[in-house]
Amino acid sequence: MSTYVIALVLGIVFGFALNKAGLTKYHKIANVFRLTDMAVLKFMLTSLAVSMTGLYLLRGLGLVTFPSVPATYVVGNVVGGLIFGVGMALTGFCPGTCAAGSGEGKLDYLIPGLLGFFVGAAIYGLAYPAIFPTISAMANVGNIVIPDVWNLSPFLTVVFFALLALFLFYLIDRAGLQRRKRG
Amino acid sequence: MRSIMRYIRKEEWSPYAAGTLLGIVGVLAVWLSNSLLGASGAFENLAGIAGRAIAPNLFDNIYFNFIMPPEITWSVVLLVGIFFGGMLGAATSGTLKWGKKDAANSDAQWKSIFGPQTWKRWLIAFVGAIVLEFAAGMAGGCTSGLAISGGMLLAPSAFLFIAGMFASGILTAMLIYRGRY
Repeated sequence: MSTYVIALVLGIVFGFALNKAGLTKYHKIANVFRLTDMAVLKFMLTSLAVSMTGLYLLRGLGLVTFPSVPATYVVGNVVGGLIFGVGMALTGFCPGTCAAGSGEGKLDYLIPGLLGFFVGAAIYGLAYPAIFPTISAMANVGNIVIPDVWNLSPFLTVVFFALLALFLFYLIDRAGLQRRKRG
Repeated sequence: MRSIMRYIRKEEWSPYAAGTLLGIVGVLAVWLSNSLLGASGAFENLAGIAGRAIAPNLFDNIYFNFIMPPEITWSVVLLVGIFFGGMLGAATSGTLKWGKKDAANSDAQWKSIFGPQTWKRWLIAFVGAIVLEFAAGMAGGCTSGLAISGGMLLAPSAFLFIAGMFASGILTAMLIYRGRY
């Protein structure tokens, strides 16, 4: 039971963060792909840097064991990502931000958005036996994490990622990609 | 204290502040529940529940039996939380859309590109959502379940997904916006 309370509370903070980052707005998502407002990328990279630091620190201290790592099967990850990007640039939402936007009372998120996710989920679930075994067999390297594969120190990998993110933020602001919305 | 309250009420935070908050949520999910954040998986669970009720034989396959069981999972509760979190965020800044005249299609930039018709927004939102969910299934997760959750564990799959998503997202935006890109 208590684990469901945790899920509910974490979900609320998650949705709150998506709202405050502006991700529940069409133009915010569309403009990251137009390279005119990079807030979405900054938000994602910041959350990655913070969470990987926290997690690898806790793992180093022996306080957590990682849950099942999302599997790497190169073709499926990339092709799925390619199709996903088309949907995201078209609609200006993704499954999580659509749920948060629905809560805000945006009816285009609440009705056609959520309905579309249910229909898409049903279609994918029914098509799963026909497509997934084939796709996931291509270039499948399993539930790996980067430090283990390349035998890197997890600590250095996280520091490297954080520095890379900072460098990218610097480049983005320097290049003036934060142009105000052009309407 | 008052400046903190004022910041909370702001409609838009710095992406670094909001991103830090999400990062902490990601850590707590693993630490407290040994779970990963995600959204697309919850839709699979819920679609399984609905599908079982409507066409039990059709939805009696390996996916809905073993991979994404038709149950109220941790992810489903998280998804409900996301809904109310969005509501809370908009409420603090006074930007809730419930009952507002433009609630059905509210983005000015969308209207300037696609026109003001609500049916057009709804059609693209519906078809786009199907595409998004199917793609997430194929890739092994969506922006939260794979990009964020996989990325924070340093799974290569997350970075492959992010690269694919930005490549086609940029291309799609170029095609939609053409001269205004």
